[in-house]
Amino acid sequence: MGAKLAILVAAVLAVAVAIGFYVGFLTGGPTPYRPPAGSASGARSIDLTLQTVAAVGSKLSPNKNWVSYLVRENGVWHRSTVWTLPANTLVHVTLYNFDGQSGLRNPFLAQARGVVGGTFAINGKPASTIDPDAASHTFAIPALGVIVPILGVTDDAPKQCDDAPCPMSTAHETITFTFRTGKKGHYRWQCFVPCAAGFVYGFGGPMQTVGYMDGYVNVV
Amino acid sequence: MKLRRLIGFNLLTAVVLGVVGFYVGWWLGHLVKAESIEYFDDTGQNDIALFVAYFTGVVGFLVGLGFANYPVQRLLGKPPSLREKETAGIGRYFGLCTDHKVVGIQYLIGIGAFIFIGGLNAMLIRFELLRPTHLAWNGNNYLTLVGLHGTMMMGMMTSGILGPFANYFVPLMIGARRMAFPRIEALTFWLLMAAGTILMTALAFGGFPTGWTGYAPLSEQSNMGVDAYIAFFALVGLSMMLLGLNMLVTVITMRAPGLSWSRLPIFVWGTITTSVLMVLAAPVLVSTLFMLALDRTAQTSFFNVQAGGSPYLYENLFWIFGHPEVYVLALPGMGIVLEILPVFARKPLWGYRLAVTGMVGIMLLSFLVWQHHLFVSGINGDLRPFYMLSTELISLPTGFIFVCALGTLWAGRIRLTVPMLFALAWIFNFLVGGLSGVFLSDVPSDVTTHGSFFSMAHFHYTIMGGLLFAFFGAIYYWVPKMTGFELNERLGKIHFWVMFIAFNSTFGPLLVIGFLGMPRRVVTYAGYLQGANEWVSISAFVLGASMLVFLVNLVWTQVFVRTPAAANPWGSKSIEFQLPSPVPVHNFDRIPTFGPDPYPYGGIEGTRPVVVPARPTA
Repeated sequence: MGAKLAILVAAVLAVAVAIGFYVGFLTGGPTPYRPPAGSASGARSIDLTLQTVAAVGSKLSPNKNWVSYLVRENGVWHRSTVWTLPANTLVHVTLYNFDGQSGLRNPFLAQARGVVGGTFAINGKPASTIDPDAASHTFAIPALGVIVPILGVTDDAPKQCDDAPCPMSTAHETITFTFRTGKKGHYRWQCFVPCAAGFVYGFGGPMQTVGYMDGYVNVV
Repeated sequence: MKLRRLIGFNLLTAVVLGVVGFYVGWWLGHLVKAESIEYFDDTGQNDIALFVAYFTGVVGFLVGLGFANYPVQRLLGKPPSLREKETAGIGRYFGLCTDHKVVGIQYLIGIGAFIFIGGLNAMLIRFELLRPTHLAWNGNNYLTLVGLHGTMMMGMMTSGILGPFANYFVPLMIGARRMAFPRIEALTFWLLMAAGTILMTALAFGGFPTGWTGYAPLSEQSNMGVDAYIAFFALVGLSMMLLGLNMLVTVITMRAPGLSWSRLPIFVWGTITTSVLMVLAAPVLVSTLFMLALDRTAQTSFFNVQAGGSPYLYENLFWIFGHPEVYVLALPGMGIVLEILPVFARKPLWGYRLAVTGMVGIMLLSFLVWQHHLFVSGINGDLRPFYMLSTELISLPTGFIFVCALGTLWAGRIRLTVPMLFALAWIFNFLVGGLSGVFLSDVPSDVTTHGSFFSMAHFHYTIMGGLLFAFFGAIYYWVPKMTGFELNERLGKIHFWVMFIAFNSTFGPLLVIGFLGMPRRVVTYAGYLQGANEWVSISAFVLGASMLVFLVNLVWTQVFVRTPAAANPWGSKSIEFQLPSPVPVHNFDRIPTFGPDPYPYGGIEGTRPVVVPARPTA
């Protein structure tokens, strides 16, 4: 009886540990990034600095050739697409795009929507739309109505980025815009351009894996 | 001595060789180079390596169990062993054994473990749905959980009845000492265990977002977790084919004298019809998955529109397998219920021939209804009326089963034992499942309910409410015969009532939630449905807790208390209950002969079977 009971207790403990690992694995994912509160103006606001790269590189991912967003934290680029942002706050986004022009399949996405003032800036120049064929990616939070097209780097631009994270000295386009987070919630954001090179229809890999071309905005 | 026991052809060796085989295959797969598969460099996703690894892993696993011994000995001209571990004590449960009763118990434990994992996934799904937005898992992991739950349940439960109960009892019921192909019988089980393990590895390769259906083009473009899905279902399909074939050959060729087709127990008829479905439908699944695997590896384009293929092809092929698969799950449950009802109503099975007709009718019609799954996919509208009518037509033979069940109960001396309670619950649950199915077979109502929680609740009523309740009925009915130890009746009744109430409290409201527009396979939902979803989730947790009651009952009675079971605790006339508990290795001292009536309850007691019981083994 004692031996049976010991085996039973051991088995129950083993199952409990296995379930613990399983649940832990499922809850895992990119480390959330919380940008520090900014004070660019009187309104509540924060800054979010991103870059998009054609290949994330072996330093930041085991999938070195996957396209990805990166976020800058204390001057260092990280691969995290889960961001914690305060509610009812203006988010000033600066996005450096180092990827080429692949074009939009849906021209609707060429116009910015849901951003403060209805416009964004490309290399400092105001714009509300871009040439759909010149687009590289989009930044979109559907639940908040935010869609911003991202202009791609031309093929003949000098000093193309070879190794992510890309230094500012390599060819890039700078996109800036501001959106309001609104009420608390958990919102998905993603790129709407099927940009996963090598995958069928461009929808696999980095387009389906949190941490590359999509993620979450936790508005708290 | 104990160390020597660990060395040899057993589960431990199998696991070691399986892991080694996996890594050897992974290495070999990465050596494959061709111009057409250069995409591996871009994607970092080498599907060929993973498929080769799964293949060599399974081969290593089977070699470790001893499945290569027989053919190798034949090749070397040595006399092979015709029987494997049939009298080898508890060790026979951890390796290749050719005793059908051991394989039945192996199935019961093995499938039970994977059903536990599937059920755990269901709990995690319902936990996430406590809130309309994110709570615990991100969207990708939620979809993987849904896929793991559905695929595990649908794959494992294909053999949920035939594996444990048909393997154990069909040879007894037909008066045979063994199955026609004992090694193949064991192989079907171990293939299933390898398959279940492979499916769980999907998590390590990014999961899969396709649910259990694996629709193209999503399955073509998804992460390598889909490869685990493909390998799992292909192995399940292979296991199903072999299991069905073995059952059919056994019943056709090994029946005892006097056991004509009209004298077969109804459970055997449930097994026969299920086996026909397995043998004819599973090859379609395996072929389809092979095509999908070729698309993902060799860059063929069966289902890739851009290269001239068609996702419709996948969807049609999948459901040509998939709908018979639904009846692979339903028919054994019907066989069990109709087997249990006469025993506890103390009446012959009412309308035996009608019941057989119903089962055969379901078997035939199940191949003609698959396109009702595609009503809203954009198929040719002219096809809709035929498939609507054929689907509704299948309710007729299903109705035969209900008529026979109710006719058997009518004016019977009903004993509300635990098996009987589960059988009665089957009648209620399957009725709700059948009635809700009418809404999905009718094109106008399917247009609004397709892809919603209504559809999900419907098939849970038929599969869980049907198969799983019958499964538990069979456990309470037959496990004392299988192990020789009683189960606790009081705990069994607590298990039943908690499970029955919680099941209906879970899936009944989901029918309504589906009507209100909540879609399947989406991690978020409308805020106004939160209250209803909280109710459902809590009910689901209670449903999960009812399984723990069962586990406590099983472990307590079979491991600790071990009260010897009587040979015939239910007063059954069926042949297996005329044998000692547990049934001896050789089943019968002499092959029995059978009388004319398979269910001689009431005024014709004692007309069958004529059995010479086997002497219990030491």
